[in-house]
Order: sequence, then structure tokens, then C-alpha cells
Amino acid sequence: MAETMGHSATATRNTKVVIGFCLLAIAPQIFEFIWSIGTIFGWGAGRGPATVLISHATALVAGAPATLIGSASGETKKASSDVLLALIYSYPIFAVAIVTLFMTVRSAQDYVGGVILMALALFALWASSDLQGMRGFSFGAGTAPRMFGGLLVALSAGIALTGLLADGPGMSHYAWRGPMFVMAAILFFALAIRPLGLVVTAFASFMIAATGSHETRWLEAAIVGACLTLGCAILFPYVLGLPMPMFPRFLIQ
Amino acid sequence: MDIFANLAHGFAVALSPINLLMCLIGALVGTLVGVLPGIGTIATVAMLLPITFGLPPVGALIMLAGIYYGAQYGGSTTSILVNIPGEATSVVTAIDGHQMAKQGRAGPALAIAAIGSFFAGCVATVLIAVLGAPLTKLALAFGPAEYFSLMVLGLIFAVVLAKGSVLKAIAMIVFGLLLSMVGSDIETGASRMAFNIPELADGLGFATVAMGVFGFAEIIRNLDHGAEMNRDLVQQKITGLMPTKKDLVDSTPPILRGTVLGSILGILPGGGAVIASFAAYTLEKKLAKNPSRFGRGAIEGVAAPESANNAAAQTSFIPLLTLGIPPNAVMALMVGAMTIHGIVPGPQVMQKQPDLVWGMIASMWIGNLMLIIINLPLVGIWVRLLRVPYRLMFPSIVIFCAIGIYSVNNAPVDVILAGVFGLVGYWLIKHDFEPAPLLLGMVLGPLMEENLRRALLISRGDWSVFLTRPLSAVLLAVAASLLILTVLPVLRAKRDEVFTESEN
Repeated sequence: MAETMGHSATATRNTKVVIGFCLLAIAPQIFEFIWSIGTIFGWGAGRGPATVLISHATALVAGAPATLIGSASGETKKASSDVLLALIYSYPIFAVAIVTLFMTVRSAQDYVGGVILMALALFALWASSDLQGMRGFSFGAGTAPRMFGGLLVALSAGIALTGLLADGPGMSHYAWRGPMFVMAAILFFALAIRPLGLVVTAFASFMIAATGSHETRWLEAAIVGACLTLGCAILFPYVLGLPMPMFPRFLIQ
Repeated sequence: MDIFANLAHGFAVALSPINLLMCLIGALVGTLVGVLPGIGTIATVAMLLPITFGLPPVGALIMLAGIYYGAQYGGSTTSILVNIPGEATSVVTAIDGHQMAKQGRAGPALAIAAIGSFFAGCVATVLIAVLGAPLTKLALAFGPAEYFSLMVLGLIFAVVLAKGSVLKAIAMIVFGLLLSMVGSDIETGASRMAFNIPELADGLGFATVAMGVFGFAEIIRNLDHGAEMNRDLVQQKITGLMPTKKDLVDSTPPILRGTVLGSILGILPGGGAVIASFAAYTLEKKLAKNPSRFGRGAIEGVAAPESANNAAAQTSFIPLLTLGIPPNAVMALMVGAMTIHGIVPGPQVMQKQPDLVWGMIASMWIGNLMLIIINLPLVGIWVRLLRVPYRLMFPSIVIFCAIGIYSVNNAPVDVILAGVFGLVGYWLIKHDFEPAPLLLGMVLGPLMEENLRRALLISRGDWSVFLTRPLSAVLLAVAASLLILTVLPVLRAKRDEVFTESEN
């Protein structure tokens, strides 16, 4: 009884992990797609969302297999960056995801950690794939990144393997409130420091970050935030002599 | 004697009123910031680095050295009083130190930590003065192949005494090496893994990554449910500051052993203060007649690691001043500070800048003396500072860190990157990866790649050069045997024994 229950629990867990890995496998493509939406409104440069979507879809479905077959038959055509991304990054992760379906994960902490680290290493291999390699006995720009990238793939595969072979801790619990509000505070600070100046930004960021804890008392936080802002406004620009905008730009002009 | 003439010259430089003031300010600010949980030595030095830009080079470096010692000592104060290690070197101190505090013996623990640090500092100052010059000669015997092997040894050393899985520690080092490759290539100038982001052209800032992976990640983790319990504060008043005669007798041998161990490990690149403190604790526990006392408030468990980390903090200046190799993260920031002032660290610094080198060595001793003067009477104030509740503490730390990172380059992108690395650090903690080897890999990465390339270019692509040059072969052999020793299950079981206790 207890054993069957345990089995079904690992099975549901496994599907979740597999879905996670599949998302991980196309994460860079998704990221570029979301980023490209901004180009519609004229933020930043790059390809439009439609181009991104079509290009990655064809690369994933048709381009990469074609290149694989082509290279097998001795053809040396230069593959596009999207095709390379599918080949170097997405396909191996998909393969890992499929393998995961048939495995019993004995330490999710090690297994998932190892696979994500492997994804990072594969991504680095793709990112350095356009760089020059060895020229004779002299290193090219891409030699060392590829060397360490390959080494990291091997090491992280080893970590994932220990997650399959040895018992260990499962996934730890991730909180969402703390990370979200602290990140929001950091993001707000980065975006607002130039247009809004130190005084407004520091106080607002303090309050956003304070939202991240359920222990926060609002009046107290506001008073401390105000004092801290005042302290920073005196300490950093005047005592430490750092050039920093103090007040919102539209107020000064 | 030449050494004493040099030392006298150094003291003449360091004792000038302006430099004395720099040293005092540095030590005071360093202690103040080091006592804050969440802001470690690296963050402190990174944040305060811009203050020193306007100062003359000697004064700036003296001040930075003061900040470094101050942060080191401040960290141990927090770990003893509230079991929050301000930074990595004081993790071990927290094990027995906090137990002592719970038994109402926080006073003796703090005093022994201060006395041990001071003694270790004095010995290490003399060591630097004596060993500095010979090591410079040794440095000239180092070619690219030797440097590369030395880097390998340093990285392996970080693996051996890191807690937890060896495989994970090595993976973290390689991850750090990969991160260090981001940005322009040194030789060809090709942009590597920068994705056309102009801020990445110079590579990932070390302070950015360090602040994210240590500072922000630690804050995010502390906000997890259930973490509140770990930060309840010791509210009781500290009574009886001075240790008894028995305490002094008990802690004298550990202080001596810790000093020796710390001085040796500090010289090795990659060794540094963190490993020194772990190693000293392990040694004391092995030598003790009754090892079960450790973890339950043994004064040796405070005395040995505290002396070791202070000795190591000091001797880690030797490779920086003589070889130009930063042995740890803080030293890498020091190199940054030196280059900003137009000083290229390396063998020639000793001859070209005697004021700087000997002035700094002398100021180390003065800095240590100031630390003991500042800290013993001020313990009460540090405790009051720690009574600030965490709900107010953490947003303040976020703001300070954000302003600190922004001020380094005036680049908002750096702040976002630090935030991203905060999430990476949170993920690392959740999967039991250690961030310290990652940072070490990031620091040593560019040096390692450069010397590897150079060595292979000189040898015309012959990889055996690392084994045919005797010094390089010895270094690699030491590295290999260290790695084998670590992987051996016997030693591993013993390591686990020590480190499971450090986590409790």
C-alpha cells in the first residue's frame, strides 16, 4: 500500500520535472520572443516577433534535422545561429527530458541541479560557437570557452547521474514572495535611478523590498525608509563624493 | 638588518597622522559594516572602494587594508552573538562561539577572538616582512607554465576543503571559469558571449556577481518561511568580558597552531582565510582529548579558527604584493584598487614602490592594534545594532547594495545583473551548490587562460611543458595528490563528520 503510493508520487513528480525540462529546452527561444515583442513599440533593436517565431520554429522542426543529415552525408554548409541553438542546446535537453520519463529520480536536488547546470553549459557552448577555434598551436577566442563549456557539461552530467544512483534530498521548497519583491525592488532601482533620482528611488525601492516579508509593519517601515533615504542622500553624494542624480529630472528642469 | 630597516621605513610611513587616520577610519567602518549580517568583506570592500579613489595611493591601500581586517573581525562578532556569520570566514567561529554565548560566556568568546586575531596578526606581519623579499625572487622563477599550474593548485585547494560534494565544488569552479570568459577576449579582442550588450563588453564585474550570489541570495533565502527561527537574537546582556585564567591557558596552544596554519594557507592562492579557518577547526578537533566538546562551546573552537583566519587574511597579501596574484575575492578587489591608482601588482612593486609596500605592512600591525582597541569596549554597541529587526534590516541592505553596485560604474545594467545573480545564488543554495568556488573560478579564470595560452605558445603547442618544467610538475603533482586524497572515501567520511556539525 505504502509502496504503491510512493510510486505514484514519484511518477507525478517525474512528469512535472519532464515538463519543466521541456520548457527549459526552449527557454532561450521563448525569451527572445518575449524580448522581440518590445520591437513593435520601438524599444530596442532586433528581429520582430513574427520573424523570431517562424525562424525558431523552422529551425527546431526542420532546419536542425536537415543540417544533421547534411553533415552526415559530408555536406559542409554553414548552419544559421537559430539552427545551431536548436542543435547544441534544445535537442540535448529534450533528449534528457525523454530519458527522465523512464528513470527513477532518487535525489531530485542533485538531478535537477545537474541538468540545469548542463543547460547553462550547453548554452555557453552555443554562445561561443561563432568564435574562432585553434589556429595551429595558438588558442583562438573560442578555444577556452568551448574547453570549459565541454568540461562543465561532463561534470554536470556526473552530478545528474549521482542524483539517479544515490539517495539524497529531494527538491527544496522555493518561496516566491521574497524573491519576487526583492527582485522588483532591484529592477525598480535600476530603471528609476537615472530619471527619478536617488531620493525617490531609494524610498520606493525600500518600500517594495519591505513588501517581501510578511513581518513588515507599514508605518514603521515608512519611517525607517525615510530616515534611510535621508542618510543615503547625505552619505553617498556628499560624504563619499559619488556623482548621483538626487531629484526627479522633470522637477529640476 | 635590511628587513628591520625596511620595517622602520614602513612604520615611518604608516605612522604619519594622515595614514594613521586612514587606518583608523578603515578599521572602524570595516567593523561597522562587517557586523551587519548580509554584508560581507567582499561587499564592504566593493562598496567602500570608491571612497579611496580621491586619496593618494598609499593612503587608499592602507585604508582598504583596515576595512578588510575590520570586516573580518566584525563578522566574527556577529557569529558569536547571534549565530549569523557576517561572512564566510566566520562560519566556523559560529559553531562553538554561539554555544558559548548561549551559556552566557559571550564575553570570553569575543575577547579570545580579539586576542587570537591580534596575536595572529602580529606574527603574520613579521612573516610578511621576512618572506616578502624571498618570495619576490621566487616569483621571477615563475613562467607561464608555472603560473598555470599554480592556478590549478589554488582551485583544487578550494575543492578539498569546501564542504559538501567534491563533484559539485569542481562544477562550480568550472562554471566560474566560464563566467570569467564573458566579455572581450584579451588577445584577439573578439566579443565572447556578450550578446551585443555594451555593458558586458568589459566582462561581468566581479563585485556585481559577488554581491548578487552572496548578498541578494542570502537576503532572499532569509525571507523563506521557517528562516525566522535562525535569526532570533540573543537579547541578554553580556556579562564578564574577560576570560578566566583557565580559558587563557586552554586557548594558547590553539592560537599558536591556528596562526601557523593560517599563515601557510594564506600564502597559497585559493587557500585564503576561509579554508584556513575550516582547517584550523578540523585540526583542533583531531588533537583534542575529548572531541565531543566541540560544537558545545569549546573555547578552542573559537580561538583556533579566529587566529587562523586573521593570519591568513594578512599573509594573503604576500602573493598579491609579490606575484600579483589575487588569492581570493577581496584581494582581487585590491588589485582593482591598485590598478586604478596606476600601480601594476607584481614583482616590481617591491622595488618601485617601497613606500607603498612597507607602509602597508606596517599599517597591518597598527590596524590589528586598532581593531582590539575598537572592539573590546564597543561590544555593547554592536549588540544593540543587531537588535534591529530583520524586517527593517533587509530592505536597508537591499538599498545599500543597489546604490553600491550602481556607484561602481554608474550603470543601471550592473544592478539588474546583480539581481539576476541573486536569483542564481538562490538557486545554487537550493541545490546545495556552493558559491565560494564559483567566485574563485571567476577570479582566477582570466589569469589561468592567459597563462595557458602563453605557455602553449612558447612551447609551440606542446602540452607536456607543464610536466617537464620541474616547478610546474611539482605544483601539479601536489594538486593531483590533494584531489585524490579528497576523493578517498576515508578522508571524505571525516570531512563530513566535521561539516555536518557546522551546519547544525
